[in-house]
Order: sequence, then C-alpha cells, then structure tokens
Amino acid sequence: MMWTWTRSRTCAVLAVIAALVFGAWPASAQEPIKIGFGMALTGGLAAGGKSCVIAMQLWADDVNKKGGLLGRKVQLVYYDDQTKGATVPGIYSKLLDVDKVHFVVSGYGTNLIAPAMPIVMERKLVFPALFGLANNEKHNYPGYFQIMPAGPRPALDWTNTFLEVAIRQTPKAQTIAIVGADAEYPHNAIAGMRENVKKAGLKVVYDSFYPPTTVDFTPIARAIKALNPDIVFVASYPPDTAGMVLAAHEVGLRPKLFGGGMVGLQFAALLTKLGPKLNGIVNYDFWVPEPTLKFPGIDEFLKRYQAQAAKEGVDPLGHYLPPWAYSYVQVLGQAIEGTKSLDQQKVAEYIRSKEHDTIVGKVKFGGNGEWAQSRVLQVQFQGIDSGDIAQFHKPGKRVVLWPEKFKSGNIIYPYEKALK
Amino acid sequence: MSGRAFAVAAVVVIAGGLLVAGLGLNQYYYFAAYVVLQYVVLATAWNILGGYTGYVNFGTPAFFALGAYTAVVLIKWLKAPLLAQLVAGAVVAGLLGLAIGYLTLRLRGVFFSIATLALTVVLQTMFVNWEYTGGARGISLARPATAPFYGSYVQFVFAVMVILAVLAVATAWCIERSWIGRGFAAIRDNEEAAECMGVPTLRLKLLATTVSGMLMGLAGAPFPFYITFVEPASVFDLNYAVNSLAMPMIGGTTTWVGPVIGAVLLGSAQQIATVTISSELNLLLVGVILVAFVILAPEGIVGLVRRLSRRDPA
Repeated sequence: MMWTWTRSRTCAVLAVIAALVFGAWPASAQEPIKIGFGMALTGGLAAGGKSCVIAMQLWADDVNKKGGLLGRKVQLVYYDDQTKGATVPGIYSKLLDVDKVHFVVSGYGTNLIAPAMPIVMERKLVFPALFGLANNEKHNYPGYFQIMPAGPRPALDWTNTFLEVAIRQTPKAQTIAIVGADAEYPHNAIAGMRENVKKAGLKVVYDSFYPPTTVDFTPIARAIKALNPDIVFVASYPPDTAGMVLAAHEVGLRPKLFGGGMVGLQFAALLTKLGPKLNGIVNYDFWVPEPTLKFPGIDEFLKRYQAQAAKEGVDPLGHYLPPWAYSYVQVLGQAIEGTKSLDQQKVAEYIRSKEHDTIVGKVKFGGNGEWAQSRVLQVQFQGIDSGDIAQFHKPGKRVVLWPEKFKSGNIIYPYEKALK
Repeated sequence: MSGRAFAVAAVVVIAGGLLVAGLGLNQYYYFAAYVVLQYVVLATAWNILGGYTGYVNFGTPAFFALGAYTAVVLIKWLKAPLLAQLVAGAVVAGLLGLAIGYLTLRLRGVFFSIATLALTVVLQTMFVNWEYTGGARGISLARPATAPFYGSYVQFVFAVMVILAVLAVATAWCIERSWIGRGFAAIRDNEEAAECMGVPTLRLKLLATTVSGMLMGLAGAPFPFYITFVEPASVFDLNYAVNSLAMPMIGGTTTWVGPVIGAVLLGSAQQIATVTISSELNLLLVGVILVAFVILAPEGIVGLVRRLSRRDPA
C-alpha cells in the first residue's frame, strides 16, 4: 500500500515536471482565452448593448462547442460602462491589469470607444471596435479595426449612398433639404452630406439642426414643405425619427425622396410603431433579410439570437447590431486561429492583411481600420400594411437599392407613389 | 485638530500619495483612486456652499465641465501644460461662481437650487453648439507622450489629484476655522439675523460661490488628460451633482472631514460596484444610503459619531 502510494506520487511529480519542461499540459487544463470589454448595459445605449452581449455570448458558445480557440475555451469578461465615457479607462485597466484578459474589444458606440483608445494604444493592443464613427481618424492606430461598414471615409461614404440612389432617378432631383438633431451622429452625417451635395450639384433649400429635446416636429416638417424640396435628408436618433416620420405624414410632406440617415428604422420597436407610414422611405441600413444578403450562418444566428432576445426583452429582430457584434469577435477568433498565437501584433497583422468570412459577409479592413470599401445599404420600405413584426422577418419589405451588388429590388419613385 | 496637526497630516498624505504614484502599481488602482479623489474635491467644494452656507447647489456638473472645457481649449489652442490648465480651470469656474452668486442673490432655498440646475442646462447647450471644443460629438485629445516625474500619465494625474484633494480639504479647513466659516454658519442658520448682527452676508455668499466653483473647476481641469475624450454628455453628467451632494450628506456637512469620509466611502463603494455587481445597482446604492442617512443620521457619520460619543458615560 505504502509502496503504491509512493510510486503514484512519484509518477505525478514526474508528470508535472515533464509538463513544465515540455509545455505538455493537456488543452482542457489550460486557462481560457479571456476577451474583455466594457458594454452599455445601463444608460442611453443599454438596449443595444444588451443585444450585443447576447450576440457575443452566442459566438463564445459556438467557439467553445467546437473546442475553443487554439484548444482553449473562450471566456468573455465584461463590465457595464453605464453609457458613460468616464467609466471606460477604469474598466479597461481593470480588464487588463486585474482580470488579465488576453484581448480587449470595444464597447458599443463612438463615445465609448474613444476613451479606451489611449490605453489600447499605449499597450499596443489589437482593438476590434463596434459601431464607432471615425474614432481612429486622428490616431491612425494600426491595431484598430471597426466592424460597421461605413467605409474608409465614414462621414462622406455613409451619406453618399443616399445621393447615389437619388441621382439615378427621373425626374431628376434639383433641390434638397437637410435636417438633423443637434447631436454627435447627425453632426457627422450632415457634415458629410453637405460635401456630397456640393459634388452632386444639388441646391440646398433648407439646412438646419433641431435641439435633441424636440418633441413636436410639425413646425419643422411644415417649414420644409413650404420650400418644396425634391429630397429631404434626415439625420436623426430614434425618438426624433419617429417624430419626423409622423410629422411628415401629418403635414403631407411629399418630396421625391425622403429619409437617408434616420437611426431607429432598423429596430423592431419603431418598425412596428410606424407600420404603413414607413412605406416609401429610403434609409440606410447594414443588414436586412433580403436574398442578396443571405450570408452563411446569419439565419441560424438570428434564430438563436431571437429566442434569447425574447427572454431578455431586447430588440426581437436583431437585424441591426447583433450580427455585427457577433462578427467583430468572429474576426478576432479567426485571427487567433489563423496565427495560432495570442501575440497582439501578429493577430493585428492577420486582421489587416486578410479578408474574413463572417455572418455579415466578407470583411476586409482598410488602412485606417475602417472597411476598405463602404457597404452602407440604402433600403426602401415597401408594401408594409400593418405594424405586425412578423412581416419584417421576411424579404421584400426593406428592399435593397444600393449598392448594386446587393440590390434586391427596384425603387418606387417618387416617394408619394409608394404611399398609395 | 490643531493647525500644526492638520499641516503634518496634509504633508503626510501628499508625501504618501506621491510615493504611491511612484510605485508603478497596477494602473487600475490609480484610475479608481483618481475618481475617489476627484469626488473628495467635488464633495468638499460643494460643502463650502451647501454645507457651511446652506445653499444647496445642483450645478456641480456646470463648474466641473467648465474646468474640463477650459483645459480642452488650452490644450487645443496653446498645447498648455497641466499646471496652466489647472490654474485656468479654477479661475474660469471661480468667475462663473462669482457671476452666479450675483445673479442669484435674491434666490434662496429651492429657487436657488433650481437656478443652479438651470445653469448646467444652459452651459451644456452652449458647449453642444460650440464647434471649437468638438460640439455635441465631443473631442479626442492626445496626452503628452511623456509624463513629468512619473513613468505614465495615469500615475501623474493621480499624483496631481492627491495634491488637489489636500488643497481642497485645506481650504475647507481654513474656512471652517476662520471668521469666514463662522459667517457662513450664521448665513446658514438665519441670514436676516446674521445681516442684522453685522455679518457681511452679500460678500460672504459671493466668496462661498466663488471658492466652491473654483474648487469644482479645479477637479474638472485634469479630466481631459485623464480620459482623453471630452463630450458634453459625460462632463455635464447629473451624477456629479447627485454624488457631490450625497457624499457630504453621508459624511456630515458641518465639518471639513464629513465630505472626505462620504467621498471615500461612497466613491469606493461605487468603484467596487461598477466591476462587481450590476451598475444598475450603483445609483440605487447612492439613493438607498442617502435616504438611510437622512432618516437615521441626519448629521452624517460625523454627527452620528459625535452623538454616540456624547452618550458614552466616560
């Protein structure tokens, strides 16, 4: 008995020494690869942030089901940034210095990505980012990779897609009204639009911001109607998007083309609220369930996401943010597998140099960490007869007009025709 | 605490802070401690007007943000060093305090509080529309590549905040022990009676708003280099108003040590809550603690300790 115990103990000691010397720990005994981030789980962006966490957790589950990355499980470590930039530096230093995560990715949104940039840059980390607009413009940091397909010149490329649709229509539009909320995104979008409008040779008849606290949009809609512009470009956040659409219907605003940069028309809440009033609006989007955008894995992902979202009370469609939240960690995972390394520089180089297959299609990053080519879609709402959510799961309700490669139908032009 | 003992304690705290900053610890602790120290400055500043003088100020975000934006302007315009940003932030916020003091001379109680809240809204609207400082979308700022005295800028701003916290507390201590502090207390207890007794209430109220504003601006000035991104929503956050009011209430509003105790306790609890429990509980935590103290210990921890020690038969 005594002999057996001693022998087994000796064997164990030898095994440990061998493992230490040869690095021969079995994969299951290794600590997981930790990916850390701050995410808006409370505050203004909480609804989006929560849906992102669901998507990212689904990716981690998928990876772990297949045996993890480099034979190690993946673990997400995240904290609530409360939609406050001031919490971000503390959260990222906690992730890196206390939790010792192997990689960090950004939270959701421009204002929450920016405060993490100095820490990431100081430590030369690879930094996949989620829905930031021109965060790397000043830094030009080579480890930054932003997943939203705004393109290499986000402000310009984003709004240019709307004009690309406009200039192809007859009768040709001559005049444009530009209106937006006095806040971060609309400022960026409208600055880009003004430049694009100059190039397109359109006459600007109305160009104004409204306070973000505006609740009654009928005076704005009336003022625009009085000028009778051919195009009305709106850059708005969800509450004002609803306000503008309702006001346009109330005062009978009938330009030839209406929409462009309205945030909110990608979420179930506004789609079901506005229902048939959406018909004819041409607006940006990043993914819709059209046959031209059926990338491998997206349907299966959405099915699982939607089941989870129903339980957690977040956006039940999940067409806007969640696929991108899944994809930005998917790219990171592919780079770790591709390089067979946790080395930040090697992973960054891999992401930079390769094209990545994701559930949102092929992703290729350009020099500044934005998509090498813009893939902002312009879609038109067509044939919507009620506020029933089921119709938005199907194709044909948000028809892709631009870019040509993903075009899934023809525009109903002018706007008024789509209302009949 | 005697003057000499206070001076020794202040020197020890500064020396200890500078030493800790030089240790090059885990950066997370510097970030967390910076936030707690920032609240020591804000709570102490709030207490000079709210606690000593009895004028409840909801405008903390306005003064804090003005300090931060003054620094932003100086960084963008002149690439000014942090010391210049601190001085300018304090002066500009102090002048705003003076102006607000003049404008709200006739307002008391809840009307004064509403006016200070309105000040926050007015200033925020101004900065949302000022393109030079990034407008509504905010502005990214690069820290200098090297930090004076320390290995990293995070350690440096932590060391600066230690000094600012001691400076703010020393200011409160001096006020409390001078005729100015007695004048403030007289205004708080009965302004008309104080005026009749010859207390220069007008000048003292202006002094309180100016000094309080100045210290809040001082707390805001290092913020751009701490976070490197400034946007109106984060610097005009109403949480600054809630916390800078709750901390002295919890610690005790009648002495300089009350806001320090409140800021350290509540600030630390919030920092821990952020990375442990859900942040949804974070504000709830402040609310519950505040309500509990208002009911159970209206004079804060300091008052509670005093009350208990008086009961002690020894």
